[in-house]
Amino acid sequence: MSAVEAAPRIESRSNRGSATWMVVPALVLLIGFFALPYLTIITMSLREASTRAVYGEGFTLAHYTSALRDFYIWGILGRTLLIGATVTVISLLLGYPVAYHLAKSRSRWTSLLYIFVLSPLLVGLVVRTFAWMIILSNNGVANQALQAVGLIDFPLQLMNNSLGVTIALTHVFLPFIILPLLGNLQAISPDLAMASRSLGASRMRTFWKVTLPLSMPGIQAGTILVFVLSISAYVTPAMLGGTGGRTMSVLVVQYLVDNFRWPAGAALAIIMAAVAVIFVGLYLRLTARAMRRLP
Amino acid sequence: MKLTRREFAVGMTAAIASMTLPRLATAQSSLVVPTYGGLWAKFWEEQLLPGLTSATGIQPQLDVGLGKDFVAKIRAGGDRSPYSIFMGNENIAAVLRAEGFFEPFDLAKVPNAAKTYPQFINKDAKGIRAIVSPIGLAYRTDLVKTAPTSWHDLWENPEFKGKTGLYQIGNTGAVLFLRLVAELFGNGPDDFDTAFAKIKELLPFTQASWSGEVATALIRGDAIIAPVDWTEIMTLQDKGAPVAIVAPKEGVLAFEQSFNLVGTGAEKDAAHAYLNYILDAKVQQDMAKAFYTSPSNNESVVDDALKARTPIVGPRMAEIKSYDWDSYVDKAAEIADRWNREMA
Repeated sequence: MSAVEAAPRIESRSNRGSATWMVVPALVLLIGFFALPYLTIITMSLREASTRAVYGEGFTLAHYTSALRDFYIWGILGRTLLIGATVTVISLLLGYPVAYHLAKSRSRWTSLLYIFVLSPLLVGLVVRTFAWMIILSNNGVANQALQAVGLIDFPLQLMNNSLGVTIALTHVFLPFIILPLLGNLQAISPDLAMASRSLGASRMRTFWKVTLPLSMPGIQAGTILVFVLSISAYVTPAMLGGTGGRTMSVLVVQYLVDNFRWPAGAALAIIMAAVAVIFVGLYLRLTARAMRRLP
Repeated sequence: MKLTRREFAVGMTAAIASMTLPRLATAQSSLVVPTYGGLWAKFWEEQLLPGLTSATGIQPQLDVGLGKDFVAKIRAGGDRSPYSIFMGNENIAAVLRAEGFFEPFDLAKVPNAAKTYPQFINKDAKGIRAIVSPIGLAYRTDLVKTAPTSWHDLWENPEFKGKTGLYQIGNTGAVLFLRLVAELFGNGPDDFDTAFAKIKELLPFTQASWSGEVATALIRGDAIIAPVDWTEIMTLQDKGAPVAIVAPKEGVLAFEQSFNLVGTGAEKDAAHAYLNYILDAKVQQDMAKAFYTSPSNNESVVDDALKARTPIVGPRMAEIKSYDWDSYVDKAAEIADRWNREMA
């Protein structure tokens, strides 16, 4: 091989080397702020409990076995997953039409709609949750309005349970499903829908057979994002859930921060993370299989 | 962009240096004092710390958070605590004390301790409860026909059924109330079985994580009566809310801010001087004016106007029910678990 031929190859190897170095800061950050803390939490979860030290001397699996044998913990875990799934489904049903409209719209008012979509993220989480408390409490705006129009005689229990948490989380996380969907829908060529229509398919059939299948990657990304954010949310369930809407993250914080039970709290956090990974993994497999079957 | 190895090395060195410098700066600083947010942080910033500096020359750094955050930082600090002095509710301080983080104060370095009501000085000077916020029964003046006079009214006045607000178990207010109920109805403040049985009779009740949330429940009318601290209710009254607070005849509870010397702290002399300043008669008076605490210094002067709003002062300090929390530490986790399961 001549020197002239070898030159681009050397250049390419050098580029690869630079690219590898560029990854190092992100890698250091990931190891330093993700892998190491996780490792610390896992180690902490295996420590013995103590009220005379931060944790005991030895190692044990007792925090895991006692949590997994405890129906109360299973109940909270089940409620957390149910809230996550409900928020995800409602967000998808509400968010898809909005994303679809934004993707197709040529109106000059579209930017206003963007602001509406992003509005839940423009207000602080605690302030937003306080607003929901004012709306959903027994003497709140919602109950007063329902009583004023004669639909109910006594206030409905709209907060301090899963319902209040679900309503507020849906409001908070709606943009997280709309934005990935929007990107995905905008990337679908309008020619495909036009071709479908020109071949005689109705608008509805075109949507079901062309647009919806092609937007599956956006649905998948958005639903995973909303599900994971919902099951790990803390402020909203802590403020609106009360005892009837307590979720795993609230319980974990109570163990760690209120009761100072770092080993037991760490074990609960790991269980929660493991369950989330399992659910997301299963969902990914199911949706990937469904996408492969698409026409 | 292509980076040479030299450019990369310089960049990384600069990045690491920028992360390290603040740490070095911290190491050179003096005393770090923890306090709470809101009115407390305002008072510390505007009055207490400038006063401390002019009285002692000490220029502390302020760290605003919750007692539980301070616990986490001391625990995580291991043998190099970020604080030399801890401030938190006595039941929370007891956790760190049991874990061996605290050492006794040298009272010779805290002359104002001699003027402090003795009930607030722990045995062997292992902690001084320097700031006291009494808790009484607060109620809505426009929604309650018969104002409460006793803790028993929570059970006996039908007006309050289903309209009571209580702290949730993560708040010191809940554990204080639990021990009070154990004392009122059972064999003493450790009779938790009786306390749980009696509190379950109050269900359903609104549970709140902190005093501000109890206040919100009162303002919304979700609760018309609740055990809350004077600070919260006086602040609501100042805003024109129709609320009042009474000292029940059996006595009052109190959030007692326990100051403790952290064994692994580096500024122990400054910590003593800081506590001495907190216990000063004038400082205690100023705190009472700022957020309606009850002065723990028996030489503090409380005028009649303030006394009308902060009645638990002087001889009435004896009405405050203080409990031993060192023995509670071993039971705390089990009691919190039980509350979660039974008070739903």
